[in-house]
Amino acid sequence: MAGSCKEIERMLVDYADGRLSAGKSSKVAAHLAKCEDCRRILAALQRSLELAGVIWEDGLAESEAIRVPVPKKVRKFRWTRYASVAASILLAVTCSIVWRGLVRPTEEEPSFAEIERRISESGSAARLLTAADLLAEYPDVGSIVKQQYRYIVETYPETPAAAKAKLRIK
Amino acid sequence: MNEINPDYSAVLGTPDGEADQTASERSSETNVVDVFLAERGRLKRIIAGMGLSASDGEDVLQDVSIQAVKRTGKYLTKRESIRWLIKVTVNRCLMEHRRRRSFRRLASEILKRRSETKTGSTTAENKAIVAEELEIMRKTLQELDGSLLTPMVLRYFCDLNSSQVGEILSLSPSTVRSRLREARMILAKRLVERGIEK
Repeated sequence: MAGSCKEIERMLVDYADGRLSAGKSSKVAAHLAKCEDCRRILAALQRSLELAGVIWEDGLAESEAIRVPVPKKVRKFRWTRYASVAASILLAVTCSIVWRGLVRPTEEEPSFAEIERRISESGSAARLLTAADLLAEYPDVGSIVKQQYRYIVETYPETPAAAKAKLRIK
Repeated sequence: MNEINPDYSAVLGTPDGEADQTASERSSETNVVDVFLAERGRLKRIIAGMGLSASDGEDVLQDVSIQAVKRTGKYLTKRESIRWLIKVTVNRCLMEHRRRRSFRRLASEILKRRSETKTGSTTAENKAIVAEELEIMRKTLQELDGSLLTPMVLRYFCDLNSSQVGEILSLSPSTVRSRLREARMILAKRLVERGIEK
């Protein structure tokens, strides 16, 4: 009987769970009809699972109080989005540079006629200044020379000769 | 208990393995964080089955959520995500169980809560018997090795079958069944030793 009990004990859990084949199941049932000890173990198997279920369910009721953390989703790095933004910035900068290059000469750079006019004015002012300087070497012509310097300053104000004439008046 | 809970089989597959996994399911990759939020009820069930208190359970879920966030960007199907989340939760619960931080709620507290929610004609004598039974079971579950407790919780409380439990715990179905038998016999014999089996 003892040897048989060990053999039956190995199948008892599956028997309790209803997972034994019909043949094995009837063998266990036949043994249980005769063996008080195995019947007690079978009853204990069923009762222990009930009790474990009570404990687990009680724990589940308590776990309802658990505050589940809501993790923040990590955004995927979308390189295409960043690449398109970078390309847009690059395009805007390039357009700006090209536009400035096209527009600036007409606004700021002097024309050829203007350059020619400035050279001519500077030459005239320089000649007048030289003449005035030569005249200044003679006595009693101070007022005439000063008048000459003033003329240079007023007529050709942006020339280097006008700057020198200003100094000489002082 | 049924062998397969249809709810679980839908996401974890049949005992035969991967055969039921459709092509659309394979192609539909999901965010682990989304799956975590959808499956928190199941994870709570595992935590409760492993006997953790609400505060310990909160710590466990916190850790699992962090690991889920870290895993964002790795492509997994919904099934794979659920398996992974259960695995991480079980491992984290086992750490707490090894520290004996589980099944700390006394049988008397359990009974008190049950009496508040359930009505029945239980006599004082019956109550005392149930209290003793519950206390024996609580202590036995507390002392049970994690390698035996985990299959029990997943099989009998989370309604997974032996194959699904094996997949999660990286064990063969036959090993799972033998551990289940061992665990069940330990619990039953503890009741028999104390003269309580009915």
